[in-house]
Amino acid sequence: MNRKEAIELITRKIGNELIISANGYISRDLFSINDKTTNFYMIGSMGLASSIGLGIAIKNPKKRIYVFDGDGNILMNLGSLTTIGTLKPKNLIHLVFDNGSHESTGGQPTCSNSISIAKIAKAANFKIFQVENESQFERILTKIKKLSGPIMIVVKIKNSEEVSGRVSLKPSDIKKRFMGK
Amino acid sequence: MKEKIQRQMFDYLQNLGVKNLVGVPDSTMKYFIDQGLKKNKILIATREEEAIGIAVGMSLSKCHSLVFMQNAGLANSISTITSLVQLYQIPLIFLVGWRGYLQNDAPEHRKIGEIQSSILKLIGLKSKIVKDDNWKLCCKWALKQISNGSSCCLVIQRLF
Repeated sequence: MNRKEAIELITRKIGNELIISANGYISRDLFSINDKTTNFYMIGSMGLASSIGLGIAIKNPKKRIYVFDGDGNILMNLGSLTTIGTLKPKNLIHLVFDNGSHESTGGQPTCSNSISIAKIAKAANFKIFQVENESQFERILTKIKKLSGPIMIVVKIKNSEEVSGRVSLKPSDIKKRFMGK
Repeated sequence: MKEKIQRQMFDYLQNLGVKNLVGVPDSTMKYFIDQGLKKNKILIATREEEAIGIAVGMSLSKCHSLVFMQNAGLANSISTITSLVQLYQIPLIFLVGWRGYLQNDAPEHRKIGEIQSSILKLIGLKSKIVKDDNWKLCCKWALKQISNGSSCCLVIQRLF
């Protein structure tokens, strides 16, 4: 499964829930597959998707918040896992699309090949799941509907040749429509 | 700033509707932070960029938010301020301690203390220096800035 296939599957499964998607190819793929006003696409500020998700989760306890993150992204802000694990927001679901590399900057390796991000999250009070194919992913997405967070799903993905176009919305418009203005 | 004023300032901001305070501690404002901890109204993050991210999430949920930090943290945060807060026009109040304001502060604070005002100007973050005799006006000014959709910064000098 590549990232695009994984994002296609999850967006089909979760419908109109709030999504905070990390900068780089993750936001680009999400934008090209399933653009909607409840998506907050990050363009810069790498590493902060889970923190923005936490802020939203705290203020919106009745909504489920999905963070679409990458391995390189979360490795830049591991402290975020400890803050989330301390506050334990029940409505936060953290997806890490893990290709073991910084794909958008040329495929340089990350440490997720030798260190388990899921184990770090587990130590930080997350319920963790790891999936490697579409049927596992689909099953876990059904299962977590009945679980309370914080939940992390590490989705192992393969790199692909196909690159989605940039997010063409103005950042201030991404914000306004996300806020329902 | 005096202990009493710092505590009053925290309560005043809460009453003005700035309900979310996230940051990394600084001794320059320790009573302000302590007041928030006592009332369980403050969140301590691991790094300043993380604190800004959380506050942005709260601001996206239509809640006024403040991020506090030392000026070392301001240096850490420049990219997050330019590529998140300013790029998306997200209104936040920054409260930044001014270490290195006095010449005899510890050596690691001297350089950042010298360039702090220039950094704020360069990145285009409007700021005011909060003191014991102008803190209410500064808080009102900051609230006006974020109500108009702009971020701003309140600076507390370290005078000890």
